[in-house]
Amino acid sequence: MRPTPFEYHRAESLDHALALLAEFGEEGRPLGGGQSLVPMMNLRLARPAHLVDINGLPLDFIEVEGDVLRVGALVRHERYLKEKVIGERFAAFHDAVQWIGHPTIRSRGTIGGSIAHADPSAELPAVAMLYGATIIARSANGERRIAADDFFLGAYMTALEAGEMVVAVEFPLPPAHSAGAFMEISERRSDFATVSVGAQITFSGGSITGARIVATGVELQPIRAIPAEEALSGKPLSACEARAAGRAFAEGIDPISDNVASSEYRRSLAAELTSRAVEKACQRALEAGQE
Amino acid sequence: MQADRPRHVGARVQRVEDTRLLSGTARYIDDIRLPNMLHLSFVRAQYAHAKILEIDTDGLADLAYPTIVFTGKDTAGIAVTAHQDFPEMQFSEQPVLAEDKVRFVGEPVAAVLADDPYDAEDAAELVFIDYDPLTVVGTMAQARDPEMPAIFDNWKGNIFIERQMKGGDLDAAKAEAAHVIRRTFYNQRQTGVPMECRGVVAEYDQASRVLTVWTSTQIPHLVRTYICEELGLPESRVRVVAPDVGGGFGVKGQVFVEEVLVPWLAMKTGRPVKWIEDRREHMMASIHARDHEHTLEAYVSAEGRLLGLKADISVDVGAYSTYPFTAAGDPGMAAKVMPGPYDFQAYEATFRALATNKCPLGTYRGVARPSAVFSLERLMDEIAAELGMDPFEIRLKNVIRDFPYKNVLGFTYDPGSYAESLEKARDLLAADIAEAARSKASSDTRIGVGCALFIEQGAHGTPDFTRRRVPIETGYIAARVEMEPDGEVIVDVGLQNHGQGHETVMAQVAADVLGVDPSNVYVRQGDTLTTPYSVGTWGSRGGPLGGGAVHEASKILAEKLRAIAGHLLQTDKEKIVLYGGKAQVDGAEDRFIEIRKLCRIALRNVDQLPEGMIPGLEAAYSLDGSADGTYANALHAAVVEIDIKTGKMKLRRFLAVEDCGTILNPLIVDGQVRGGIVQGIGSAMLEHFIYDEECQPLSTSFADYLMPLATEIPNIEVHHIETPTPRTPLGAKGLGEGGAIGPAAAIANAVADALGISVLKTPLNGNEIWRLATAIREGE
Amino acid sequence: MQEIELEVNGVRRRLSVEPRRLLADVLRQEFGLSGVHIGCAQGACGCCTVHIEGVPRLSCLTFAVQCDGASIRTVESIGGVRAEHLLQEAFRSEHGLQCGYCTPGYIMTLVPFVSRMVEEARMPEDEEIREAMSGNICRCTGYHGIVAAVRKAIGDQMAASGGANHAG
Ligand SMILES: Cc1cc2nc3c(=O)[nH]c(=O)nc-3n(C[C@H](O)[C@H](O)[C@H](O)COP(=O)(O)OP(=O)(O)OC[C@H]3O[C@@H](n4cnc5c(N)ncnc54)[C@H](O)[C@@H]3O)c2cc1C
Repeated sequence: MRPTPFEYHRAESLDHALALLAEFGEEGRPLGGGQSLVPMMNLRLARPAHLVDINGLPLDFIEVEGDVLRVGALVRHERYLKEKVIGERFAAFHDAVQWIGHPTIRSRGTIGGSIAHADPSAELPAVAMLYGATIIARSANGERRIAADDFFLGAYMTALEAGEMVVAVEFPLPPAHSAGAFMEISERRSDFATVSVGAQITFSGGSITGARIVATGVELQPIRAIPAEEALSGKPLSACEARAAGRAFAEGIDPISDNVASSEYRRSLAAELTSRAVEKACQRALEAGQE
Repeated sequence: MQADRPRHVGARVQRVEDTRLLSGTARYIDDIRLPNMLHLSFVRAQYAHAKILEIDTDGLADLAYPTIVFTGKDTAGIAVTAHQDFPEMQFSEQPVLAEDKVRFVGEPVAAVLADDPYDAEDAAELVFIDYDPLTVVGTMAQARDPEMPAIFDNWKGNIFIERQMKGGDLDAAKAEAAHVIRRTFYNQRQTGVPMECRGVVAEYDQASRVLTVWTSTQIPHLVRTYICEELGLPESRVRVVAPDVGGGFGVKGQVFVEEVLVPWLAMKTGRPVKWIEDRREHMMASIHARDHEHTLEAYVSAEGRLLGLKADISVDVGAYSTYPFTAAGDPGMAAKVMPGPYDFQAYEATFRALATNKCPLGTYRGVARPSAVFSLERLMDEIAAELGMDPFEIRLKNVIRDFPYKNVLGFTYDPGSYAESLEKARDLLAADIAEAARSKASSDTRIGVGCALFIEQGAHGTPDFTRRRVPIETGYIAARVEMEPDGEVIVDVGLQNHGQGHETVMAQVAADVLGVDPSNVYVRQGDTLTTPYSVGTWGSRGGPLGGGAVHEASKILAEKLRAIAGHLLQTDKEKIVLYGGKAQVDGAEDRFIEIRKLCRIALRNVDQLPEGMIPGLEAAYSLDGSADGTYANALHAAVVEIDIKTGKMKLRRFLAVEDCGTILNPLIVDGQVRGGIVQGIGSAMLEHFIYDEECQPLSTSFADYLMPLATEIPNIEVHHIETPTPRTPLGAKGLGEGGAIGPAAAIANAVADALGISVLKTPLNGNEIWRLATAIREGE
Repeated sequence: MQEIELEVNGVRRRLSVEPRRLLADVLRQEFGLSGVHIGCAQGACGCCTVHIEGVPRLSCLTFAVQCDGASIRTVESIGGVRAEHLLQEAFRSEHGLQCGYCTPGYIMTLVPFVSRMVEEARMPEDEEIREAMSGNICRCTGYHGIVAAVRKAIGDQMAASGGANHAG
């Protein structure tokens, strides 16, 4: 369990990184936190000929610009737990991060790596979809802005092309009257999710005006729970019929089945966690209203 | 005589081995490095059952560095065999490198050697093997199907062995019974997972014809004997060393093909050879455990007395019989221990070892007892439910109270505290039981309490192994105690410490007998060069037998010290007490001579010895277990909280009331109990080694094989009752495995209590709990 | 081969390594640091944890070439050959180890955690301690002794650093 040989390149600048990635094409890979790539290389499931180490690049920013939160590709998972704006405006994001792996992984893994790796059960891809984030990808040919909804194509499959790299993820700031929550069931606390559900609602005058719900563990990439989103529209926060929304979502899905969980179990969890995430979001909305 | 003085045995003595382990200076197998050493990487079978048509190693010639490759043709005839000496037994031979056929995924097919381990791994990828896949025998049902092809050419069917054990009149019990309760229970396949994988380093000195083998093993002498028999070497010139060993749990208690092959390679190449197993190899090709199916039929009187028990036991033991406990080890043990702590005198068990195309089954902490206890203790709760009795009540009604007790198979139990442990646990759990009862009204969250009462036969003596007719043959532990001219003590004991604290406990034992401080006792173990021939560490025998042997050997030396002291102090040697570094006259504190002075006299100033006394201070003792061993007992109890909607189960509380006889060191006893329990919790809730239909292993990494993490585990409460056994010198019973035996049963009983249903199999993971809670969820 | 310079346990050294060599292997082979253990080579067991620039990191998921110029610490530098760091002392007294294979990884993971608690002058709940060590697997102790050792080390260290008040 040791990697096959490769050449190592330390990127000195973003342009340098992009030039290297362009040069190597399919043979090259960015090296972020290495917390997904190196295990695969140790198992020889990944055999890149060139690694472009991007850790030295100035991509570890979290900044608010207008109504957008920009998160640089090299931001490590643990940082969200300390970032005020995440705690205050992105509660579901904050909830979700606590479910990522264990502390040592969280202090090293990056959002760029997580998004690009696209593990079917990973939290950050789901979070990106939940907030309608935009993935900013760069290559030697320029920049592409890809909506999270269009980015995740399957297990470990994304819209990224060879030579392209994630440089940032842009999260639109949720409007003032909004709230969210993220729920997860995993076998052990630090395992990848069996099923997770994030819910983000907007409200006005005590009623839900819009909802976005995203689930992992149903398909091989995070999916939107559109029937649940629709079911919630117009419901009062104090009696949002979350359970019905969960059921509406579960009825329309045909979840994957594997050794961790059967399709039926996943369906049931999708319904239940949808209901719980929505309830929690409504509860948070109501609490915020009281302040 | 010395009873009123504080002793080291029984005290919470901190471990002497900790310093090297904490500082990073311990030496594990991968820390052994020799000049000019070759590194071995295996090419392992990718098919579970296939003919080898061709092995192509041509690719290695193009490499820029030298490599050496061996295949089964080179090693033909060298194998691990483990035969149980019954005519019913079908014979398996596990070649060190597969010859014409592979029988499980992960079986070694070729050995590739290079100067660097990374290069060796690269080179191994260039060996191409052409296979002709054969029909896979993948399940117990398939193994029992006479239509399936046999895994071994000369076999009929795929059953290693099927036998019976019985006692008493089962027909009479059945006739008398008011209730017949029959259930089938299943425990999943697992593996033991020490944190350090296996590894072997071997070096052969042509000039002196001495072969030295370092291996991460629990059984250095048995490895030596096997290597010598298989490779035709003199035992006098083969040294097997177990360096620091990073966990074993029984996994490292077999002789593996790699342990035979690596020495052969060192002799063949004339260079030291090193093999360090990686985690993937370990998961798929060390040994597996459990995978038991038991059908039990209980004959019960109207009042809830167990009158008789019938058992049918099947175990999927994989592709080969393992040395020294054989393929029959697990099923035979399950049949033997099934009667447990209950008083009944009619029993019949049929047990069989089924061969499949999976990694061989070997010993893992508890060996079959976790499964037997799971079945019997679940059955007790099923009986209680059927008769409308309380789980404690049914057990108290049937539990053995009078000792010694001769059980239905003729084994005689030494005294224990079965009923006391039940009563104590019932008191400790009163509040939880009440809360669990109240939770039955809820369809959101349920609480359940479950208990498991069990005994563990440990410290078995030779007759027990003779009866089993397996290659282990004997079970004695030998110790040699030696004192030096400066009064320091060396204890050489035939155990192998891989976390049990032997270096501390053996020093405590010797120190008490010799009247010195434990810090003056240097314990050596794990090396055939320094230690007397013994079977190593397994089977909960280190404390009772290893400690006992050290105790007896020390007594011989103490006797000599007293004789010398008596002579010098001109008093009867019986009046001499050894304590605090002094040999003193009992009751006359001022009349003493320092023990180190006695040592100097015995070894150097021998002119001062009593007339005719032979110089020297060395004594040896080999302690065999008593015929039926010792019977430790314990009560495990779990309190679980179940989220009905999601299947998420939280272990709220876990407690043990245990009795291992005399406690030699409470720090270590608690550590062994707690560590074992957490492994048992893994068995109950998480750990599952999965194969697909083609017997491809799916649980080969820590992302797929889930062991308990700190976040899943509550603090484990341990309560003690101490019933010393008359069967070992110190009154200690076996302890090491007990922790792992009860949790699956206790937790399953708690789940059954919470959900009000039968629980028939493990692991009780999220999906399974969710499935079991269906009725409650849908009944809302 | 690539030239790099590492500062390991306070000693700087230049060496030439193949890019694919894991930091864990280089520390073991080139620096003779036997306290770095490999348990799974995929980040799930924590046995290989070392400090890179003071932060606990998995040396089996790090290439040595990535650490050019970096300062690395292993368990060997924590409390010396006598293992005298307060956390090591607490592991001893609370029986936080058995076979010892995972132990250096725990020490390296938990030393900064203990320091942080002492700095913040608070005694964490067991749950927080267990979460802090959830990246490490111990197969022997059942975790109980390790949790107890962490509590004891925090308490002892607070007492040693001037008896900052703490709960429970
Ligand atoms: C034991 C364990 C448990 C874990 N548990 C979880 C969990 O519960 N939830 C979870 O979400 N994750 C989990 N992870 C994964 C962890 O979060 C990873 O850090 C993350 O998935 C990948 O981030 P990275 O920076 O480490 O990426 P890397 O490992 O460096 O890279 C991963 C992939 O992304 C590519 N890549 C990296 N950066 C970029 C970029 N900027 N642009 C384009 N491509 C890039 C790489 O080339 C590679 O293909 C776990 C990991 C381990 C080892």
